[in-house]
Amino acid sequence: MDDDRLIPEDLLIPADGDMPVESAELLAASGLAYEELVELVEFGVLQISEGSTGWIFQARAVHQARRVVKLRDSFGLNPPGMALALTYLEKIEALEQRLRELECLLPR
Amino acid sequence: MKFKDYYETLAIERGASAEEIKKAYRRLARQCHPDISKEEGAEERFKEISEAYQTLSDPEKRQAYDDLGRHNPGEDFRPPPDWETRFSTGPSQQEVDLSELFEQMGFRSSQRRRQAAGVDFPIRGQDVEAVARLSLDEVSSGTQVTLERPGGNVRIRVPVGVTDGERLRIPARGGPGSGGGPAGDVYLHIQLQPHPLFRPVGHDLYLELPLTPSEAALGAQIELPSLDGRVRVTVKPGAQAGQKLRLAGKGLRQRGEGAGDLYAVLRIVMPTPISEREQELYRELAEASSFQPRPHFAGGSSDG
Repeated sequence: MDDDRLIPEDLLIPADGDMPVESAELLAASGLAYEELVELVEFGVLQISEGSTGWIFQARAVHQARRVVKLRDSFGLNPPGMALALTYLEKIEALEQRLRELECLLPR
Repeated sequence: MKFKDYYETLAIERGASAEEIKKAYRRLARQCHPDISKEEGAEERFKEISEAYQTLSDPEKRQAYDDLGRHNPGEDFRPPPDWETRFSTGPSQQEVDLSELFEQMGFRSSQRRRQAAGVDFPIRGQDVEAVARLSLDEVSSGTQVTLERPGGNVRIRVPVGVTDGERLRIPARGGPGSGGGPAGDVYLHIQLQPHPLFRPVGHDLYLELPLTPSEAALGAQIELPSLDGRVRVTVKPGAQAGQKLRLAGKGLRQRGEGAGDLYAVLRIVMPTPISEREQELYRELAEASSFQPRPHFAGGSSDG
């Protein structure tokens, strides 16, 4: 298609990349409210490093925040509920990953 | 325009109360939410439920929807003439989806409210989310995907080194913003298609390597498939089932330098049926061998 615009590769930001994200960008990209963000950081669900102008997040925090916003909207969760849901989901995914590894060692 | 029965989607009566609508939505959301259900089609179903709920949970939109009357799902229908002036923006020959109409409706009314307050609010463009199902070959050599988005399609180069389940974000490449607002973002969720031989774990690949009992006993030179052609490996004499042979750098390529490893997991397989001659040789072997594979059973059952 002619109207396609090719995006240079360097614009792709992988979730595990070290491109830092500031609070304002995280809030705009996720739809999270500032008070919710503060609580999720207090719960330790979103990890921060202190920058000169405020909190700095890793790129993966954007995906975490968006996910938690979807759960909030679907189930009417408050921040403690959001923190708990995200913690469990991430734990399940880590276990699923480990399960896949172990399955590779078994005959099919 | 194709009709969609939002009440049927949520499995509720047309006269349902706001509370009943919310309950129905929550019950279905718990079943189909893509973060909870990994079932085939759950995500699609969740989108339908959310679309229905977004319209029916807003009294203004619900009224407009009810005004359309009853039609069969999928049936072509013409909205009342005043809808053209109320919502329509694009050229009329274009196929419009019912959900887009209702989306616009909320959007426009909130815009109106904002303008009435004398503030021209910048509105961030829509985010574009998509799943890219890629083959192992595609992720190891890099590829491109084309996404539909408001304001024209966008082609995205998927860099070498992505893995299963990875999420990529491309800032400001989603739908255009309005009122001076920024464009939305593009989110791409990578899923790897299953491969008949290789199972990916991160950047490593696992391959099952079946051996005959004699290959395991005596060792063997074996040719394996890998993503970049065939490779020879040496199985040492006395190989055990479950052992892993590591072929460094023969896995999936990583971002930047390097690649994961390819693991061949040994499996010892018996022929079926075992021929007369083979059985004869195994009997001979059994007599000649003093191998005891279960010395730890020798203590008897009373030891616990």
